[in-house]
Amino acid sequence: MDLSLTETQQLLKSGVEDFIARESPREAIIELAQTEIGYSQDAWKKAAEIGWLGMAIPEQYGGSGSSLTDIAVVYEALGYGPVPGPFFSSGVLSAYTLLALGDEPQRSKYLPLIASGEAVIALAITEPDWAWGVDGIQLQIERRGNSYGLNGTKLFVYDAITADYLITAVRTGDNPTDVGFLIIDAKTPGVSIRRVEGFFTSECEVTFDNVDVPGDALLGGSASALNGFEAALRYSTPVLCAYKVGGAQAVYDMSVEYSRERVQFGQPVGRFQHVQNHIVQLVNHLDSARWTTYEALWKIDARKPGQDISVHLAKAVTSEGFVEATNYAHEVHAGVGVMREYGLSLFTQLSRSLYHSLGDPKYHRRRLADLIYDDGSSPAGADHDHGDHDHHDH
Amino acid sequence: MDFEPAYTPEQEAFREEVRSWLAEHVPVVEGNVDSDENYPKYREFGKQLGKRGWLRPTAPVEYGGGGLSVDDAIVIGEEIDVYDLGIPPYYDTGGTLGGASILVWGTDEQKARMLPPIFTGQVVTWQLLTGPEAGSDLAGTQTEAVQDGDDYIINGQKIYVGGTHGADYLWTITRTDPEGKRHENLSWFLIPADSPGITITPMELMGDGGEGVGRGHKNTIFFDNVRVPASNLVGGVNNGWKVATTHLELEHGSGGRIGRNRWFDRARQRAQGLRKAGRPILEDSDTRDRLADVFVRTEIARLFDLRNFWMNRSHIEMTYEGPQASYFRKMAHLATAQSIMEVVGPYALTSDPRWDTSEGQLDAFMKSSIVDLHPGATADIQKVIMARRIGIGRQVREKAGKTAE
Repeated sequence: MDLSLTETQQLLKSGVEDFIARESPREAIIELAQTEIGYSQDAWKKAAEIGWLGMAIPEQYGGSGSSLTDIAVVYEALGYGPVPGPFFSSGVLSAYTLLALGDEPQRSKYLPLIASGEAVIALAITEPDWAWGVDGIQLQIERRGNSYGLNGTKLFVYDAITADYLITAVRTGDNPTDVGFLIIDAKTPGVSIRRVEGFFTSECEVTFDNVDVPGDALLGGSASALNGFEAALRYSTPVLCAYKVGGAQAVYDMSVEYSRERVQFGQPVGRFQHVQNHIVQLVNHLDSARWTTYEALWKIDARKPGQDISVHLAKAVTSEGFVEATNYAHEVHAGVGVMREYGLSLFTQLSRSLYHSLGDPKYHRRRLADLIYDDGSSPAGADHDHGDHDHHDH
Repeated sequence: MDFEPAYTPEQEAFREEVRSWLAEHVPVVEGNVDSDENYPKYREFGKQLGKRGWLRPTAPVEYGGGGLSVDDAIVIGEEIDVYDLGIPPYYDTGGTLGGASILVWGTDEQKARMLPPIFTGQVVTWQLLTGPEAGSDLAGTQTEAVQDGDDYIINGQKIYVGGTHGADYLWTITRTDPEGKRHENLSWFLIPADSPGITITPMELMGDGGEGVGRGHKNTIFFDNVRVPASNLVGGVNNGWKVATTHLELEHGSGGRIGRNRWFDRARQRAQGLRKAGRPILEDSDTRDRLADVFVRTEIARLFDLRNFWMNRSHIEMTYEGPQASYFRKMAHLATAQSIMEVVGPYALTSDPRWDTSEGQLDAFMKSSIVDLHPGATADIQKVIMARRIGIGRQVREKAGKTAE
């Protein structure tokens, strides 16, 4: 048993910390949040050069094929920034989706583009009838000889604003599991993308107006691709969790610091037990998020049983925990915490924005329930051996 | 990262040895392990463990321990856990915490004299910390020890202490300098329980008689001019608070553990057979959500304990992690009891053999989840300690107590 980071992981972590200090300090991030795309494309290119966008991608496609824990260490450190940009959408979620679902020509075409940062790929799953999971995918394809026709809207699509390609979940038939994934060039006539206004970070609306998609855009040529997508989610979700752990850690550090500096009634506010309670609850949420996430990462990397249970647990706990962490931080900071230039509200916004990403806590608790109730062990087939997942050979 | 202990072939061989020895020696009993009938069997079993050094596996051999590695101790712990037992297999937290404190603070003579009986299971020891006037304010104890020649004479009262089956030794902190500064006016004593002037009176508390080790009853203990040799003062005169920081640290959860998630399993098992208005309750989505809550909370509690186990055994400097695990577990158990009430309805509250299928476990948990909020420092005190260790509102962070030499 050893719950510490390896030396390599420590180096990865300090690499991101140096990057943040140099390329993406908090003051810069606060200003970026006011811009149309919300991140720095210059910093994006530098991050790609370091190799962070190719960590999930095997060497043969231009990546480094890193372990999931290594990837998560980088994303946790990015979350501490919080460094904005389509890092997770493109470098993790799309990469794993292409690995799980794409055929060889699709992998060879798109994965190197992700790894080098030349292309941004985002996933368009949810729709105006919002629900995570298979029931939420209603956008029908229309078969047109050698192509597919598409009419409809995807909503709350993260990071679509600068996406070059959109991996779009579509309904391919009448059976509940008839779901496929089309990779669509964002410049295709009829595709329009805009940011959705509100307390969001990067959520977009993607409209398909009589869009004609070539036949070879269907990932793996499969009209029934949900199992593969589940595998992609199994790998991607704990990395998103790690990003939130990084965010919660930042919020905790800010709160402890503030409790020492802010003086009211003649003493640091951290001397008051109500303020102490806020920070104690905050660190409990932070550590709950951290250790459920780490255990999920370890189970996947070490190919242990119970991976899906741990992933659902981690996602439920981190989504709730990040929101709670920011709530407690606001109680500690009072007025200062809501000043734009202070930076706490960046995390607050992120905690809300990512609450529903890849499924909200209720969804994950219900999935968890399905895995843990119905008999003494996890039910047959629900949490099978994932050793056959061919892209992970670490 | 690796969340599992790694076992060498030697440890696996040791596991076989432990397993077959336990199969021969674990008492076969019926009913509560802590009943008057069963308790002596477990005491005898403890002495046999003690002879092999397995009662206190990592304690030094010269003091009656096993001198084993942490990994070997884990093996023993895991194998005895199969029988739903721990080590010691009876109520002796006084021996565990007191033994660790004497190891850190005792003189060589004291260690040689006091530790072997504790570590080999010859004696049972109670910790006496809470007094009527000193609950959370432990250092404010009014129990007093006054030197008289080669002895000290102790007067005072302790409450909520001990168990059902008596003790051979007691330990406590007493005020030895009424004029001294707080935390510098206390001394720590090991006291033979049969000393004249000690009166032990059972208390009636909610949850008395529940299932399991140490669930019998608690006591009030009166010290009326109790004479204790000065050689039983451990850690130096007026240095008792330092000694206490060792056992308090351990009691606050810093030792950690590799645990199973029992409460989720128990709740699910009980829910499995039940129907609500004709339908299996596990088909009801609200019920499933409540059970998922139980799982989430208890898994986090398990992970905090596991992290602490790793930090403690790897000698990584700890700060707030011990009280965090303790606080989280207390609150998780309280919330879990409520969730179980929602899941299984009034069946959560019965131990009636005709209507309960949990052998009284759920009924007992409804009470113990409340009673357990307080021992080993209340949930509020755990938060106070966390705040000091984190350094909330203070530049200098308080350090954790010393738990090893």
